[in-house]
Amino acid sequence: MENLGWGLQMTVLGMGLVFALLAVLWAILNLILKLDQEEAEPVTALEATQAAEQIAAVADGAVGAQIPEPATVNGMRADLVAAILVATMQHRRVLRRQAAPMMRSYWPGSQLFASRWVAAGRTRQNNNWQPKGR
Amino acid sequence: MIDQETIGLLLKGVNNVTWQSLVMIGVSFVLLYLAIVKDYEPLLLLPIGAGCLLANLPLSPLIGEEGMLVALYHMGVGNEMFPLLIFIGIGALTDFGPLLENPRLVLLGAAGQFGIFLTLILALLLGFTPNEAASIGIIGAIDGPTSIYVSGILAPHMLGPITVAAYSYMSLVPIILPPVIHLMTTKEERLIRMPYSSRKISRRTRILFPIIVTVLVGTLVPFATPLIGMLMLGNLMKESGAVERLTKASAAEIANTVTLFLGLAIGSTMVGADFLKPSTLFILVLGLLAFALDGCAGVFFAKILNWLSGGKINPIIGAAGISAFPMAARVVQRVAQEEDFENFLLMHAMGANAAGQVASVVAGGVVLALMGAGG
Repeated sequence: MENLGWGLQMTVLGMGLVFALLAVLWAILNLILKLDQEEAEPVTALEATQAAEQIAAVADGAVGAQIPEPATVNGMRADLVAAILVATMQHRRVLRRQAAPMMRSYWPGSQLFASRWVAAGRTRQNNNWQPKGR
Repeated sequence: MIDQETIGLLLKGVNNVTWQSLVMIGVSFVLLYLAIVKDYEPLLLLPIGAGCLLANLPLSPLIGEEGMLVALYHMGVGNEMFPLLIFIGIGALTDFGPLLENPRLVLLGAAGQFGIFLTLILALLLGFTPNEAASIGIIGAIDGPTSIYVSGILAPHMLGPITVAAYSYMSLVPIILPPVIHLMTTKEERLIRMPYSSRKISRRTRILFPIIVTVLVGTLVPFATPLIGMLMLGNLMKESGAVERLTKASAAEIANTVTLFLGLAIGSTMVGADFLKPSTLFILVLGLLAFALDGCAGVFFAKILNWLSGGKINPIIGAAGISAFPMAARVVQRVAQEEDFENFLLMHAMGANAAGQVASVVAGGVVLALMGAGG
């Protein structure tokens, strides 16, 4: 219990001192800013956030800032390179699917994907050849 | 023929393997895993893991009387030089503009140090000596160099676990802070939007800030002079623009070199016989508690400010009043945007975060002053 009393005393004294010191700092900073005569102007939240992001980006370089260097491939971020690769592969697959029958990815008759050639043929088959109104 | 003595010499390493050293080698693997795979504070946890591994290999000459790791320890940890050099680099990379734009946020930084003292009380109740309890409490500053500096003076035998706890928990800010914020605030509070006003901070004010803080804190809490002095020296170099080469060197080459040396030296203190004690577990748990209590106290104080201001302050920015700059601010912004995507609190949170950085150093000095140590 003696230790507890001492600890409580430390807490009150310690936090009191920290608050007092920083309150003095607050007062001095206010005084300097007053003397500096720089008026505050309203800015949009987005502008302020962009400015804050720039400050944070510089501080990320400090030890303890928890942001490890991102992996790069030939100077580009690795996750960006991966995204480009996936997009390119997907685009190639789409082009292949849309190509003429000789280039299409699936065997003729497959229900998975119809090339433009097959799709056009099926559409024609579905058209009603009878004149309208009969 | 190979005689018994030669075989004995060849197997000397194997014969000296102890269960403690094996466990510590496992601990070093965990640290290396966290640094390499999980990206948890790799700049420091990797050298610490390597130092721990090298120190626990059987008969390691590196921790012998004139071993390299021991030399590194005496060169910069025993005399507190390494954490102070790192502080110059941190100062050179920190922009206190968000705090200068809104100076009242400095009080949130003060509230964010409450965990230090509450943890001190808990550590005392668990049977730690006052010096040890203060060293454990300082993990709550969430500031690696301050933790190393203070515990190096008050309880050097606990430097290893305290440093590991401080840096590990710093990297866990995105995991630990959000539940604390959710626990302490309502949805309505998290949705509060704060107006922005940009005050152009002149170069004169930016240069005056580090000088004034050093003189003020150094005069009122002389024990904090080394910490605040080095932090503000780095900031003065940055803001003055007069010594760009020194600023760059402090923030990059010097900080990187010192980080490597510091990590290796700290890791070398994690020798099985000293590290594998129940007290280590207590330190890790209490450190985590200190961190969570800091967040709670910060949010609670911001709630009071919100009430006093008539609902103009979002209480979650109080959680950023710790030293982990700028990660804590980013976490606060992320939590705010989870509720309302168009709520931008980053600049306010950065102000509280910058205040937390100054406040943690002040708190470190206050703890040393109250314990009658350092200086």
